[in-house]
Amino acid sequence: MRHSSLGGGAMTRLVRMEGIDKVFPGVKALDAVDFDLLAGEVHALMGENGAGKSTLMKCLSGVYQPDGGRILIDGKPVSLPTPRSAQDQGIGIIHQELALMRDLTVAQNIWIGREPRKSFGRLDEAKLNADAAAIFDGMNVKMDPRTPVSSLTIARQQMVEIAKALSYRSRVLIMDEPTAALNDTEIAELFAIIRRLRSEGVGIIYISHKMDEIRQISDRVTVMRDGTYVDTVAAADTPIERIIAMMVGREIQHSDIAIPDLSGAETALEVIDVSRGAELKNISFDLKQGEILGFAGLMGAGRTELARAIFGAEPIDRGEIRVHGKPVRIASPSDAVRKGIGYLSEDRKQFGLALGLDVRANIGLPSMGRHSDRMGRINEGKLSEVARSYIDMLRIRTPHDAQEVRLLSGGNQQKVVIAKWLLRDCDILIFDEPTRGIDVGAKAEIYRLLADLAKRGKAIIVISSELPEVLRVSHRIAVMCEGRLTGILPGGARQEEIVALATKREGKTAA
Amino acid sequence: MFTRRHLIGTATAIALAGLGSGAMAQDEELFIPVISKGFQHQFWQAVNQGAEQAAEEFGVRVTFEGPDNESQVDKQMDMLAAALANNPDAIGFAALDSQAAIPLLRQAQEAGVPVVAFDSGVDSDIPVATAATDNKAAAAMAADKMAELIGGSGQVAVVAHDQTSRTGVDRRDGFVDRMEAEYPDVEIVAVEYGGGDHLRSTEITRALLAAHPDLDGIFGTNEGSAIGVVNGVRESGQEGITIVGYDSGKAQTDAIREGLMAGAITQNPVGIGYETVRAAVAAARGEEVEGDIDTGFYWYDQSNIDDQEIQAVLYD
Amino acid sequence: MTAVDTTTAPRPSRRGTAHQKLLAFASLIALVIGFSLASPNFFQVSNIMAILQATSVNGVLAIGATLIIITGGIDLSIGTLMTFCAVMTGVVLTWLGAPLIFGVVAAIGTGALSGLVSGTFVAKMKIPPFIATLGMMLILKGLSLVVTGTRPIYFNDTPGFDLISRGSLIGWVLPGFPVPNGVLILFLVAGFAAWILSRTVLGRYTFALGSNEEAVRLSGVNADAWKMAIYALSGAIVGIGGLLIASRLNSAQPALGLGYELEAIAAVVIGGTSLAGGRGTILGTLIGALIMAVLTNGLRVLSVAPEWQTVVTGGIIIVAVYADQLRRGKT
Repeated sequence: MRHSSLGGGAMTRLVRMEGIDKVFPGVKALDAVDFDLLAGEVHALMGENGAGKSTLMKCLSGVYQPDGGRILIDGKPVSLPTPRSAQDQGIGIIHQELALMRDLTVAQNIWIGREPRKSFGRLDEAKLNADAAAIFDGMNVKMDPRTPVSSLTIARQQMVEIAKALSYRSRVLIMDEPTAALNDTEIAELFAIIRRLRSEGVGIIYISHKMDEIRQISDRVTVMRDGTYVDTVAAADTPIERIIAMMVGREIQHSDIAIPDLSGAETALEVIDVSRGAELKNISFDLKQGEILGFAGLMGAGRTELARAIFGAEPIDRGEIRVHGKPVRIASPSDAVRKGIGYLSEDRKQFGLALGLDVRANIGLPSMGRHSDRMGRINEGKLSEVARSYIDMLRIRTPHDAQEVRLLSGGNQQKVVIAKWLLRDCDILIFDEPTRGIDVGAKAEIYRLLADLAKRGKAIIVISSELPEVLRVSHRIAVMCEGRLTGILPGGARQEEIVALATKREGKTAA
Repeated sequence: MFTRRHLIGTATAIALAGLGSGAMAQDEELFIPVISKGFQHQFWQAVNQGAEQAAEEFGVRVTFEGPDNESQVDKQMDMLAAALANNPDAIGFAALDSQAAIPLLRQAQEAGVPVVAFDSGVDSDIPVATAATDNKAAAAMAADKMAELIGGSGQVAVVAHDQTSRTGVDRRDGFVDRMEAEYPDVEIVAVEYGGGDHLRSTEITRALLAAHPDLDGIFGTNEGSAIGVVNGVRESGQEGITIVGYDSGKAQTDAIREGLMAGAITQNPVGIGYETVRAAVAAARGEEVEGDIDTGFYWYDQSNIDDQEIQAVLYD
Repeated sequence: MTAVDTTTAPRPSRRGTAHQKLLAFASLIALVIGFSLASPNFFQVSNIMAILQATSVNGVLAIGATLIIITGGIDLSIGTLMTFCAVMTGVVLTWLGAPLIFGVVAAIGTGALSGLVSGTFVAKMKIPPFIATLGMMLILKGLSLVVTGTRPIYFNDTPGFDLISRGSLIGWVLPGFPVPNGVLILFLVAGFAAWILSRTVLGRYTFALGSNEEAVRLSGVNADAWKMAIYALSGAIVGIGGLLIASRLNSAQPALGLGYELEAIAAVVIGGTSLAGGRGTILGTLIGALIMAVLTNGLRVLSVAPEWQTVVTGGIIIVAVYADQLRRGKT
């Protein structure tokens, strides 16, 4: 309440969270975080990815149990062991990943668990639909409650989530990046709903990265960083720059990266005017051999989509991709691999590794053809030799090359993925969040490895949501926002510049 | 499908291993495992009964087991292998597929374990004796009776229990060959296979009745098939179909008493079991054994079902 | 068929399922017309009755399987559970000599109880449905043999028992329509299950669980308890299947049942229910079961060699499911 611009004692405090701790295996996600919410306010919760915003809100909505601290509702301490108990306390949450049942209708989704019933467990379908329609009327949204959710756009599904949260007569409404998938009209509709709810005394916790939205809609802003509470300020009289500074940390990260002279280097990859739907809009850039190009941007800015488009995992509508000066058609990941492009997915466990197989098999996976004979028999000796050479080169810490990959640490798993693509002779490597889930020591090693690969002439793209990481490794920094490339900055740029580009919405400036 | 059967096989093997270790404890008496073609059908239960009678009489220990149905050749091989692993003194064996069993039988021969075949022969000289019904002759007798009952001409169909096993093939061929050879006016319009499953044989019968409106008679080649035929005819409400069955069981004897079934061939299952164990005991003790033991078969119908001789070989 | 059209209430995605029913129904009609043209003996009242009768047991089992499959699970124990329910009916009626109604209660109760056990394995102990019901399949098969001592139990001492499946209530009311009771029961069960799925909370959660189980949990629903209830209901329906087969064979045959689960699952899949869960209809399953029965019967009436009957049936299953995939790809 330090800088509250809101009037004195008239407002009731709905929620107070005091000293909340949450520990996940190996990570302290929340460290003594304080937070409070008044009736009739929109309280923005801000911070970089991984700052702990969603975790804090999951504690408040009964999904997670805090390991320390206490939660008070209307001044009384409560425990929220289940989502249901939080709902009973009047806390509604709209999850970032939409939690809807696709095969059910809109109304059925809204009232799941609270279906109006007649005798013998029969459903009162008419009342179900009428009640849902009433909520949408109140939201001033046109929606047929009998539509199956699977036929709705993501934006419309979001509306269903909001209606569902409203249906609990929530006094506290948590919205986790509700506008991520909405267009301007839809955002305007959403804000109208939020304002109306606020006027009715509902307290709204609003998580977003978008600075202009925060200015438009919120009363107070709480900033978190690295799982800790930073400060709470009034939205109206705090400059955006100050909020950004609070988010990224006051100490400006000096980039000691040595930027190599690449004027004579050959261009490895050119992306010219690539577009796909609303996700990628006219993207052009080039990448030289020996260069590391960082991609910064907020979640949903289109960086992963761009990487997948270059890699052939998603089609492109328009545009051209050239590899070593030659236009190429990349229709599938196997095309991309043949052209020497390797993609290291952000989700190693799902896409990058066969966890149950050993290190050797994983490294050899894309190049089995070269390590087997005509009958398809694998030459284990040769494969093992090659695998061991990469284990040495990348300093993969594993007792032997027959160790199952799932037993390795995150950093060493990541190195196995890198080895896999190096063995396949890829000279354009796209790293998507290369240090996600990796501890600090191993991160430094991955950074060194990236620099090392660049020195050897590999062309490298690094996508990262952690600004310090982008600054630490990149020779140049490309910034994306809402599917557009909003600018390319030289290495060692200031964080503020990057954040400004990352929040630069179409036709507007970053506040 | 494969996985499922595989798992069942494994479970059975574990169960067998358990039985086996129990067996090792006592050693004085002779140990004779009997591997049959099944154990759930009443026929096999009657064989089991005969085997137990002999076991008691000669003071030997007999185990009795068989696969779920007559197509599970692989499972029967597992059972035979497990039985051999328990150092038996002799083995009783009714091969589902005699060719498939030869490697294991050779192993028995090398280990000096005499093998007594029962129910159907094994195409090999390894078994010291064979206690069996002459299925072909028995089915031929069924053909004679069928032809006689329908007046020497008309259409008949066969609902067989199996397309590949020895008994299935012999009973089908015995019936069909005799008809073709002796009764030119009788036409065999269809041979279908129901796996001995009561319900499937019922459905087959109903389809046969639909397909051949002028059908005069149906022969069911084992207990499950015959009961299925009776069921199907009863459900369809069609009159004047002559049903000839094989083996007994309560449902079949009831159908004969009610007149739904004209009659059936019965083997002597108790006798098969008894003779198998008797021959195995003799062979294990190094005594002379008769090579072919014909355990016989009988025709029974309303007129003789209560005769002592017939009652002795019928089972419920 | 029309009777069921009215009892099967509209499902969430009306247009999609209507389309799907149409496709399956069209295949059924095409098969019937094809067989009728190929053989004058196919389209006869007695043969149609035979086909309906042949659908009854598999149809009831398939309806039970549909419920489980919509939750995203699978039930391999339905075949042997059917047998075990038949056996328990035999125990109550023949061995204990209880009145007929107790036999009915025994079959349905045994099924529900066994379903509850499977449901506990799946929902509470988190054993994957495939494994949990594989275990139950073997357990129930063994129990049937143990309880009966491997001998069938006959129902000769229970007058009227065979009428459950073989009698014809409809034929008694409307002479000339001798629809066997087994078929009537199949349609009643189908109507009941369709009603449960479309009109009740239990049905709603069946679809919701198959659609997104985590979302159901986050909505504060006791997902485990509901899942167990669905397995129990499915078991009870399989119990009715046990009653039907026992009545039809006038005996409880302890060795039967293995393999019946796959036929039931085939009917469900042909009927357009997704093995991934979240969608499916009882009417579709009913049509699927009819397609299976028409196919087996028709091929026999045409005197197709038994070996080839099996090949064709397998092919039809693949074609039916592939057609469904194509249709889904388009919409």
